[in-house]
Amino acid sequence: MKKYKPLHTISLGIIILFSAISIFSINSCAPSKAVAAKSGVQLWSENCQRCHNTPSPTTFSPEIWETVGMHMQTRALLTEAERDKIVEFLKSSR
Amino acid sequence: MKKNILFKSYALAMILLMGICAKSFAQTASTVDSSIYDRLNYLEEQMNYHKSGDDHFMVVGLATMGFASNKTTNILNGVTDITKSNSFPDVDHFEFSPMLLWRHGKKFLMEFEPSFANNAVGVNWADISYFVAPNLILRAGYFVLPFGTYSKKQAAGWINKLATDPMGIGDVPSADYGVEIEGGLPLGSMKMNYDLALTNGLQLNTDGTLAGGNIVDNNNNKTITARLGLLPFSNSSLELGVSGMFGKVGNYGTIYQDVKSNLYAIDLNYVKTFVPILLNIKSQYNIINIDDANYVSPLDPTQTYTFKNHTTNGFVQCAIRPTGIQALKDLELAGRYTTYSTPANSTFGSDQHSFSIGLNYWLSWRAVARITYEAYTGNSTASQALNAFTGTTNSNTLFLQFSIQL
Repeated sequence: MKKYKPLHTISLGIIILFSAISIFSINSCAPSKAVAAKSGVQLWSENCQRCHNTPSPTTFSPEIWETVGMHMQTRALLTEAERDKIVEFLKSSR
Repeated sequence: MKKNILFKSYALAMILLMGICAKSFAQTASTVDSSIYDRLNYLEEQMNYHKSGDDHFMVVGLATMGFASNKTTNILNGVTDITKSNSFPDVDHFEFSPMLLWRHGKKFLMEFEPSFANNAVGVNWADISYFVAPNLILRAGYFVLPFGTYSKKQAAGWINKLATDPMGIGDVPSADYGVEIEGGLPLGSMKMNYDLALTNGLQLNTDGTLAGGNIVDNNNNKTITARLGLLPFSNSSLELGVSGMFGKVGNYGTIYQDVKSNLYAIDLNYVKTFVPILLNIKSQYNIINIDDANYVSPLDPTQTYTFKNHTTNGFVQCAIRPTGIQALKDLELAGRYTTYSTPANSTFGSDQHSFSIGLNYWLSWRAVARITYEAYTGNSTASQALNAFTGTTNSNTLFLQFSIQL
């Protein structure tokens, strides 16, 4: 009788799934028109509060917001378009 | 004739006067222009002097400190033991962690967070991220594992709604050495995110618990950790996640070398404003399964014992903040129920529950003073044969805490 190896099966499945997702992401998925049209202030109010209070734009300088934006993209797994719009809003609203 | 001479003299005088005036005005205009140009040049120099470079280095961080007053009652074999403690600061939740961020252009980000906590200095993470493509980030180093969301997104004191972490959340070490890919993806009106890590993996302790990954792999078998998150609503108010962590945990060359662990987690995050209230619900449930193994008895090294190594823990947390009411907008009420079950007949078996309630006062968007009350009940399911049974324990703890992101 063939020995069942759930760990290997699950691991292989996950690798295949995430490889597919990686390729998918490089080729970029598309947001709907309404989502694509969202402004930086709207994305700021929707996404930041998922984890913490919405930050005040006056907290940091534009240069720092760029760095914080990259850090938050890795934490909250924002899309790059969301990150760019939010950072631009924070930089321009000081 | 006289009139003609007079007219000519007058015209000549006017021409001379106009010439003198024109020259005079020209000198004035030239002086003004020169002054403005000098000023503009100076400002341009100043702008260039202060202009951002491609790279950037910054220090942020967080600090959490406070006070805890505890009363614990333990009943074992009919004997009641009561202990009281007051700690300043609250030793379990004191933390001072500066975080260093280096941005190397727009493609690389280095993150390093040393931490002074539990009277020792450690490192929370030290990694490098490479922003490969718009929604694909590659990371390497010592990083937070993508198992559930609490460790990665909610554990920081200034983000947490209560003074304590949910019981059992620390059973899965939060960071490990390895490589990781992650990103967020738009899916029409929805979004999803993915996170996949390949690390050295957890290590099995001699009592059947798990220790964090080490810089040297104990068994040459890499552990896979992955999480998928889905945000089904276009306003990103709801996120549902599922995680798994799979790998060998036993030391190579020992009887434990083939022992594997399979961990699973589901998580939920819902944050939405229902004017005038901001509602915040978070939940996570973890399952830890480790293969059966024989462990050395702590009473007699020549004897072994075994147990079903199955652990579960989970919490549901709800917070409400009246952001639409001016007089109360800085206050937030939070409550959390936690359940935690560790393997029966082990040396650490227990069935535990806690309920926490707290009030936060937000001094700014990133500074909070809070009071939390936590009631705990624990029933030991540990092995009586190994003298590990500890009876029933109840405790009540009051926390006063301040936390800030710097």
